[in-house]
Amino acid sequence: MVRAVELHLGPLHAAGYNILRSGVRWLYDSGHHCRPNEIFAFCNITLEPVSGRLSGPPPFAEELELQIAFASRVGGRVSIDASTARGGYLSVRTVDVWNPDTVIATIEPDPGADDVAGDPSRLRLLALAGRRMTDLAVTHSGLLPGWHGRSRGWWCEAGETPVTLLSLGVCDAAGLVLGEDCAFAEMFEATQSAAQMVYVPDHPLAPATPLLLDQLQRTPAQFEAIAADLRGFFERSTTPPTANDMIFAGTVLSVMQRNPIRDGYNVFSANGLTRLGPADAVLLSLAVEPTAILRHRKLGHHIHIMRHHQTAAGPAFKAWLADSFEPVRRSVQDIKLDYETLIDKIARTTGGRVIILNRMSTSGYEDVSSYLPFDAPMSDTLSLVAAKEWNLMLEDIADERALDIVDVDAIAADIGGGEHLPDGIHQSGLMQKVLRREVLSILANLRQPEIGHAETPRAAAVR
Amino acid sequence: MIYEFRMPLIVNQMTGATLECLYAKPGDSLKMGSKLFDLSIDLGSVFAQECPPVSFFRVVMREAAWLRKLELVPGKFSQVDEEIAIFSTTPDEDIDEPATRTIRTTVAGIVHHDGMWTGSQW
Repeated sequence: MVRAVELHLGPLHAAGYNILRSGVRWLYDSGHHCRPNEIFAFCNITLEPVSGRLSGPPPFAEELELQIAFASRVGGRVSIDASTARGGYLSVRTVDVWNPDTVIATIEPDPGADDVAGDPSRLRLLALAGRRMTDLAVTHSGLLPGWHGRSRGWWCEAGETPVTLLSLGVCDAAGLVLGEDCAFAEMFEATQSAAQMVYVPDHPLAPATPLLLDQLQRTPAQFEAIAADLRGFFERSTTPPTANDMIFAGTVLSVMQRNPIRDGYNVFSANGLTRLGPADAVLLSLAVEPTAILRHRKLGHHIHIMRHHQTAAGPAFKAWLADSFEPVRRSVQDIKLDYETLIDKIARTTGGRVIILNRMSTSGYEDVSSYLPFDAPMSDTLSLVAAKEWNLMLEDIADERALDIVDVDAIAADIGGGEHLPDGIHQSGLMQKVLRREVLSILANLRQPEIGHAETPRAAAVR
Repeated sequence: MIYEFRMPLIVNQMTGATLECLYAKPGDSLKMGSKLFDLSIDLGSVFAQECPPVSFFRVVMREAAWLRKLELVPGKFSQVDEEIAIFSTTPDEDIDEPATRTIRTTVAGIVHHDGMWTGSQW
């Protein structure tokens, strides 16, 4: 008979604060078979000051979503303790003090599951924090609920410091970092090394390099000038701003005044409450770079809003774009220069390293037998020729600068682009798994710089 | 001889495509390499997600023919295998005759451009 193991919350500390939790919310019914490190439950968290009075802003003042998700270190069948659920608002509000000895479930481990790092009776904890796009974006359901301008998840054992990856890409980066439930669960399951994943969405502003450079360099006075310009346009616009205009404009300004690359992070864990510096690595998508970008005629800053997000704006905001901005064409050389400038600037300001997902450059959907019908330069017309040129441009940069390229192009070709990357950008679960391993391998090199940035084990990951 | 062009299955998951722009009109004599039209394929209806997986393709002639009939306007969605155009090898053949075969064309993925029905980038 297999001996059931009680699963304890384990230690969590934040000096000067009491950690309170809600009732436990279950992602599966009792009896569910869990893989090792698979999230099966979570609760909401608040940090309440012990003294009742703070000398400064609380450490998570901006992150109104704060949760801990639970996973067992060993695989097996989980039996939940229904009494820990509490129910109703008590499963939303934080009502219980975090007690490391609390048992929330038991697990019947799989045969041979005793070969595990750490105490199998102590749950692995995934801490989650969401900074809402607006404080009105309140949702109580599920993991990291609501609309966030930045979300993050971190995990570490006692004595470990997480390595931080900041995702500033589009769907290709979001899928592999956030995972299917948008709560970093797959990343957490894929590695037991201490890490923090940070995700900044690609809306309303898409993270093309000119915008990231603007954000890195923008002063408060420059931001005020942008805000004043937008307000002034709305005031004199013959098209009265609609609710959609106001919401869209507010969101754009909210994003513009932040600088995710320079952000530092408060984390709490078994090690207590600590402050991490800016991201150790920044993940970008080559696919987001446009061949033409809007530049403000007077103030010089850039705007790039993906077409499917533009529909959320009202007529006045669109009129502001048409009136105050001009499209600027970008050659491959221009894009290369932007990347080089960004890589150098990140290295200088935060010491962070850039990782980039390249583009798929082959497709089974084409049947081109001759390129004679297409005018030169073909990369202006043919998307896959452009993708090849852009991928080569990244290789040229990597020859001279610290840049890690995740070879989406080769991985898709290896496992089957038609099945796993049907439109060239949205990957299957298997492809995300392979890409995730690739990114984690790069992060592992960051933890052990003496190993250097050797070739990542993509072939092994595919196998 | 009469040739036909039916909306091809370019992407396995597609149900049809939208015409983005036309480069030829009925009565035109087209050479090998002439551009016919640009299409967009939106897999959004197949994969439920907020970011529509839209890709763009150009159809180019791979043989010479007269374009005799074209029932497309920019913005029109056509189902896979729907008849789109009729071609003939001479300008005055009876296009009510059954098609001998499908016209030979090339399909290539292209970059979005401002001449498309879906509009400019902004």
